[in-house]
Amino acid sequence: MKLTFNPSPNYRNEQSTVSIMKDVLLCLLAVDLYAVIYYCAAYGAQYGLRVVLMTLTACVSALLTDVIYYKVLKKDVIKEVKSSFSLITALIIVLISRISTAYYAIVVATVIAIFFGKLVFGGFGQNIFNPAAFGAAIIMGNFAGSYSADFATSATPTMAAKSLGWMITSGEFSSFISSYGGLGRMFLGQYASTIGSPCALLILLCGAYLIWNRDIDWQTPVFYIGTVFVEALIIGLMHGAGIEYALFSVLAGGVIFGGVFMATDPVTTPVSLPGRILWAVGCASLTLIIRDKSNLSDGVLFAILLMNMLTPAIDKLFDGNQIKDADKFKRNVLIGSACSIALTLLVGTSVKSASEKASAVSESETPAETGGAPAASANFGEALPMSYNFNANKASCEIDGTEGDVIRYSCKAKGFGLVTNADGDYQMNEAMVVVNKAEGKVTSMNVITFGETGGVGDAATSDEALAQFEGKGLDDEVNLVTGATFTTRSFASMAQAALKAAAEGE
Amino acid sequence: MSILTGPMRFHLDGQKELTAHKAVLKLPEPDDLYIPLVNGRAACTPTVKEGDEVKVGQKIGEPSDGFWFVPIFSPVSGTVVGIEKRMTTMLKPGDHLHIRNDHKYSAVRAFKSLDYENASREELLEFVKNAGMAGLGGAGFPTFNKYTKPDGIDLFIINAVECEPYLTADYANSMANPELMREGALALLKLSGAPKGKIAVKEDKKDLIEVLHKQFDGTPIEVAEVEDIYPAGWERTLIYMLTGKRYDRLPAEAGCILNNVSTCIALGNALKNGMPITEKYLTVSGDGVQNPQNVIVPIGTPAAEVVKACGGYVGEDCLLIAGGPMMGRTIPNDQFVVGLANNGLTVLQHREEFSVKCLRCGKCTETCPSGLMPVRINMAEKAKDIDTLKKLSIMDCIECGLCTYICPSKLDVTEGIRRAKRYMTLVK
Repeated sequence: MKLTFNPSPNYRNEQSTVSIMKDVLLCLLAVDLYAVIYYCAAYGAQYGLRVVLMTLTACVSALLTDVIYYKVLKKDVIKEVKSSFSLITALIIVLISRISTAYYAIVVATVIAIFFGKLVFGGFGQNIFNPAAFGAAIIMGNFAGSYSADFATSATPTMAAKSLGWMITSGEFSSFISSYGGLGRMFLGQYASTIGSPCALLILLCGAYLIWNRDIDWQTPVFYIGTVFVEALIIGLMHGAGIEYALFSVLAGGVIFGGVFMATDPVTTPVSLPGRILWAVGCASLTLIIRDKSNLSDGVLFAILLMNMLTPAIDKLFDGNQIKDADKFKRNVLIGSACSIALTLLVGTSVKSASEKASAVSESETPAETGGAPAASANFGEALPMSYNFNANKASCEIDGTEGDVIRYSCKAKGFGLVTNADGDYQMNEAMVVVNKAEGKVTSMNVITFGETGGVGDAATSDEALAQFEGKGLDDEVNLVTGATFTTRSFASMAQAALKAAAEGE
Repeated sequence: MSILTGPMRFHLDGQKELTAHKAVLKLPEPDDLYIPLVNGRAACTPTVKEGDEVKVGQKIGEPSDGFWFVPIFSPVSGTVVGIEKRMTTMLKPGDHLHIRNDHKYSAVRAFKSLDYENASREELLEFVKNAGMAGLGGAGFPTFNKYTKPDGIDLFIINAVECEPYLTADYANSMANPELMREGALALLKLSGAPKGKIAVKEDKKDLIEVLHKQFDGTPIEVAEVEDIYPAGWERTLIYMLTGKRYDRLPAEAGCILNNVSTCIALGNALKNGMPITEKYLTVSGDGVQNPQNVIVPIGTPAAEVVKACGGYVGEDCLLIAGGPMMGRTIPNDQFVVGLANNGLTVLQHREEFSVKCLRCGKCTETCPSGLMPVRINMAEKAKDIDTLKKLSIMDCIECGLCTYICPSKLDVTEGIRRAKRYMTLVK
């Protein structure tokens, strides 16, 4: 019989970090399972299987990274891996990736997230950046071309919204949202986006479960999602959009997923509640600023990473005694939040909806010349030789009809979206190219299918832009249409293919 | 409680059912008792010497300090063997008066009983002082000191909350001696000069609430039910729960005076029967003891005897805690004795915790009843960042233990704050 000394207290709550992480993992698995079911039902079993394989790939990479790291450091591998909680990072990486992301990109992202995002900082609890966001930023930044074309899906709502300048007025909203089946279906997750983010309902239920179990606090998700909603509502009202735009801003992209699973990562967010509230408001503001003004279609990931950098400063701002310094804390939260909201709204004033853009363009044009169709007017830029190497466009032609020397070709070629593997609802451009075989020149060019972004690439489909192909042979050159260079190349590649086909006598 | 601070308290499993409704065991008095000559900080000079015969209730120690004034009375009859150094619950050696029990229990009236209703305030205060009344909630603060100049007090509070887990000694004492409690409480109410009083009790102790209503309905003392949270029994939290007021240093700033319910019972006993505090209700509980139960033991009984009377230890490696598991100290030796301010012995089987690194969840900050930020204090302490430590007002920590209790990573958060306190006293 031995009596041991241990400093008081000697009583412990049942909840442990392990149990918290188990709950979070369970929720992430539920979201993952939903994705498997959704993709199986909507796209077929091979899509569902791909989600499963991506999940396994990420989990195995994460565990192997941990095991190798701790093996090299000669630590107790099992104990360290148990308290490293890397599976959560792995799952989040999968859930914020798109279905078309290549396996090797997932591996690279996971290994970088675990190793550079976490282990080199000293392991769990010591990292500055949210490891999953860190890893995903790597895929987005460096593996943009790694998407597997076989698993292309339709455009994500954020991509579509981005192409409209992240402003959809009330008049445009119903036709815009119809491609996602309305806000109700978006809330239920019946559309393709990143793997994990669509089902708002399920994610919110997970959030409620985690809050109920005291695994996360309620302040961060509520203030994060709430601020996105309120700011989007005000910005929307400035431009003639209604409450449905604010709802869309919350449902689209990673706002709800990030708010529940990533902004609540305790390791990389401030420790005090006032700090967390200020952090959440700042993060929401950055999300909208990035959406409105950067090249990225969604801002959640980078907003979280940027706010991670501010965490130590926010922690310092709220050092003190919560009772004695209550007024100071309140003031700091109010001033900080007001500043970040004001900045977002200021940025929001410069956002332009598609119709505002169109009217701005038509006002600047001389009415006599372009009259009716402003979006289809073409400004020509630099020269494009018809002999240019158009391999990327993968143009193909089939004979549609022949009248003497005049051959009609039905052609297809990749445009901007498919060449760059951008996220979005892109299709092959199709055109009817008529070639005079004897002269070796294009007689006419007509667009059959335009598979690009409306309002941008279609400048290259204007009569003016298509007319420049008439009378051109392989040795001639045309001019790129400013703002629609990819589309010009796409049509030029079809003209080239048709001319070559005619020359070879097919 | 607001959006910005979190609840600053927590409901924890009280484990009270282990002992609350079991019969109270009157401990067969041991052969040798060792009366501590220090009550809290109140040191005493013995008034008896080796070989003297003493009787129950006889004064055997006279305080040497006018402020920390708690005289000592003999809990048994027997022979004084001498003064011995033994380890105290403060984990330091201290002087104890060794008395060999003659098992005759011959008693003397320590002092005359007093009718508080007809006595003047001064007489009553003098009585409280000489009867050796002290805070029995654990602090052992001399009771009369609170009442010397009670200015502008508008609420007298009796603390029957007993928020420390496992402990039910106050509960058992109150259930057994409601009349004495009433007597003592009304006497203290008179001393405080407050127009009304409240007796705070946890809302889940239904039977006790009924007893209290029976005793206090019709008096200026009102029964106030409080939520079952920790640390509801701490002065600041209790006053905040009852009045919504915070204060800087003393409860009097919020117009309140507090005393523990056991103090009221002891005073009631002194007023009615003319007897000082010679024995204590003590909860012996936890998974490390065979028969958890409440016991009545004379002051000066070694802990080993108490544990033996409750069936002895369970398991090979135990934590023996003087008090409850939250604020009580573990003592790696069961030869220390039950003193005036002890109200429990918690014996827990010792298990190693699987602790991981701090995940900065901030739960310690949200629950800290003093509004501190234990996680920031621990980080600043590790970095020896003096400026930050100064900002974090670490001296407000009462070491209630809630931060360690709540910590999901199973770290010794409270101990880190103690380290920070020691460090700051060194560098100051």
